[in-house]
Amino acid sequence: MQTIFSYIDRDTFVHRLHPVTKLGHVLLTLIIILIPYGPTLESALALSVWLAFSAVLWGIAGISLRQFWSLFKILLATFVFLILIQGFMYRGGEPLLVLGHLPISGGADLGVVTDAGLLFGLLLCVRVLVAVSALPLFISTTTISRVMAALNSMGVPNRFTFMFVSSLSFTNLIFEMWNSIIEAQKLRAFDIESMPLWQRARRAYVPVIVPLILLLFRKGNDLEVALKSRAFGSTHRPTQVEVLEVTWRDHLMVAVMLGVFGLCLWIRLFWK
Amino acid sequence: MAVFGANGAGKSTLCYLLSGMIPNIYGGRRRGRVEVCGIDPWDHPINEIAQRCCMVLQDPEAQLFMPSLEMELAFGPANLGVPREEIMRRVEEALEVVGLKGLNRRNTNALSGGQKQRAALASVLTILPDLLVLDEPTSQLDPLGTKEVLEAIRNVREGHQVSILMTTHKTEEVMGLVDRCMVLKEGRVVALGPPEEVLSQVDLLEEAGVQPPTTARVFSAVSPWLPRGEALRPEADPDRAAGSLRRLLGAGALRLVPREVPESPGADAVGEPILQVQEVTFSYPGTPPVTALKEVSLDIRQGEFVGLIGQNGSGKSTLVKALVGLLRPQRGRILFKGEDLSRLSVGNIATRVGLVLQNPDYQLFSISAEREIAFGLENIGLAPERREERIHEVLEMVGLEHVRETFPFKLSFGDRRKLAVAAVLALGPEVLIMDEPTTAQDYRGRYLLAELAQRLRERDDRTIIMISHDMDLIARYADRLVVMYEGRVLLDGPTREVFREAEALRKTFLAPPTATQLAAGLASEGMPADLLTVDELLARLEKGGH
Repeated sequence: MQTIFSYIDRDTFVHRLHPVTKLGHVLLTLIIILIPYGPTLESALALSVWLAFSAVLWGIAGISLRQFWSLFKILLATFVFLILIQGFMYRGGEPLLVLGHLPISGGADLGVVTDAGLLFGLLLCVRVLVAVSALPLFISTTTISRVMAALNSMGVPNRFTFMFVSSLSFTNLIFEMWNSIIEAQKLRAFDIESMPLWQRARRAYVPVIVPLILLLFRKGNDLEVALKSRAFGSTHRPTQVEVLEVTWRDHLMVAVMLGVFGLCLWIRLFWK
Repeated sequence: MAVFGANGAGKSTLCYLLSGMIPNIYGGRRRGRVEVCGIDPWDHPINEIAQRCCMVLQDPEAQLFMPSLEMELAFGPANLGVPREEIMRRVEEALEVVGLKGLNRRNTNALSGGQKQRAALASVLTILPDLLVLDEPTSQLDPLGTKEVLEAIRNVREGHQVSILMTTHKTEEVMGLVDRCMVLKEGRVVALGPPEEVLSQVDLLEEAGVQPPTTARVFSAVSPWLPRGEALRPEADPDRAAGSLRRLLGAGALRLVPREVPESPGADAVGEPILQVQEVTFSYPGTPPVTALKEVSLDIRQGEFVGLIGQNGSGKSTLVKALVGLLRPQRGRILFKGEDLSRLSVGNIATRVGLVLQNPDYQLFSISAEREIAFGLENIGLAPERREERIHEVLEMVGLEHVRETFPFKLSFGDRRKLAVAAVLALGPEVLIMDEPTTAQDYRGRYLLAELAQRLRERDDRTIIMISHDMDLIARYADRLVVMYEGRVLLDGPTREVFREAEALRKTFLAPPTATQLAAGLASEGMPADLLTVDELLARLEKGGH
């Protein structure tokens, strides 16, 4: 099943970029969301421009809108929470909806929803969306082997990059085992998923976690045998199999990224 | 060289000693001497031994950890600092040898079981070892996967200067592949020599817990009737074995005994429908969705022993999961005694239809065998005063009463499987489904659960559904076969009749049991072509006049 965090095998402009260029996009995204924003139009515009830029990259990378929608759905509850909490708690702005009066310290009134509060809540949502839109773009368009090569090219030791990769494959294995064990226990009338939360916490996880740990020990042992049998840990300097090249695409991408980034900064700081 | 032996005979220990896993990973004490390609693995670090001797394990999942097939194959030589161009050349060559050419960029998770094991084999081939140690490389594969892996091993053998040592239980499949065989029993070598010599010693193999090839059993049984000096060697190819028997029949050394073939149990021999699958369709979500069951309809009757066969991916497991409520069909209905299962929870269904999984270790977690069984009984809310009685009953049924207070993980794999059966039986299901009861079992262990199922059927009139790739087992126990192919029921009928459909079975990469193939090869001599077991075949042969 395709998820927003799995690699999509295509041959697009974004796929062909050097992983470090794509990490640059993630880094600039982080900077963009860390800039302080007030409930103003220019803040909304600056964030929207970067979000639109990321969306264009998603489109070029061939990531379907459905996956963007999946991401949005996951975050929907958070968005509603942010908008409501800021709507009621934000100090300042004109009242839009008065449900009563419950003033709290700092000047906010829990009974009043203000326009500035709503806008600030919306801005926070866009910020979250901007933040989470960058990483899936990187993961969906970069094979793990290219990530490894990029990490190695940045001087990360081979053992660490291998640990990173094997932990990813082990994570998948844990999920698969977890689901298999839950299914196996359901066959003995033990349905963890339909239990109330307090009951789950009290007794539900032992029948799942004990077999999981024991199975993981066994798998870990097999993995060690498989690794050693392929000379892992040899004294030779490991050969870099995946070759990464910086091409005109990377130069173009860096130029466009910096341009859009500069535009966002200008809108945020100077646009009136 | 093939190494045979029962579970615990020392096969894996031998592999670990040769590949240096002992003492580098597993501890132990050793007497005597081991020399692999001129070095003693005891005295060298494992990455040094790996340049001479590499090992492939039985579980393909545990051996693949890189994101793509190409990276997987490059991993070994890259660790040894082999230049990139040379690595890529070796990768291409290894992929071709194991029949995975063109799949360089494929994610290893997306490979089938047989492909994964071939990938594991290729991943050590790129190191160019002198010795390959394969520890039961086909034990977890379906017939197609087994065939693919053995074909790959044959290619490696023919195209590379590499020696291969392979442990296995599958005597029949490897007979035509190996130069020498070794039989281990309780840690000792009891036979060593060419396959036709070792595998013809039926009594010795039986005693060592190794399944003799069907042709060896037949030839051994008829050998006292042969003229002096006439000897038959076991054959990997049933047609050639049938040719030898035809020759003896023609020469008068053997004679056919006319006997009626037992009738297959008809619909009137069993009860009313207990499970009804009505036009069930199920698709797994994804882009695009994968339809695993396509309008499957099936009636299972009370007291039937049904064999469910087909390749991996044919829909067997999905069907079984739908029968126990783990998957809910998007279309169609499943009825248990007329009651729609979609209205019941998985727990409620478990008291009607029980499923015993391949691997008991996904279920067992308690501190004792009896607590393990009590767990299910608590879940269905059985009164405490009745639990003790039920625990005693099911432990006795599976023959584990003497270990009721033992920690389940201290039990042997076979006993853990029996305990998992007991835990399912305790819930009182009228239908018992067993998923591949022969997995990871040796010759003695493989019929253990099938025998148990047979007893339950005879004693309590329980209905048994058994998924298996083992055609000999299916032929011996099931009186009806359902063959799944691409999400549909391809064949459904009495076992004898289904095995007559050799052409249709070939489409699903399944073959009738060797005894049936031998009988078919003797049909021109008057042998009934639909025999199922060696015993049935031998009952129709006797000493000839000459």
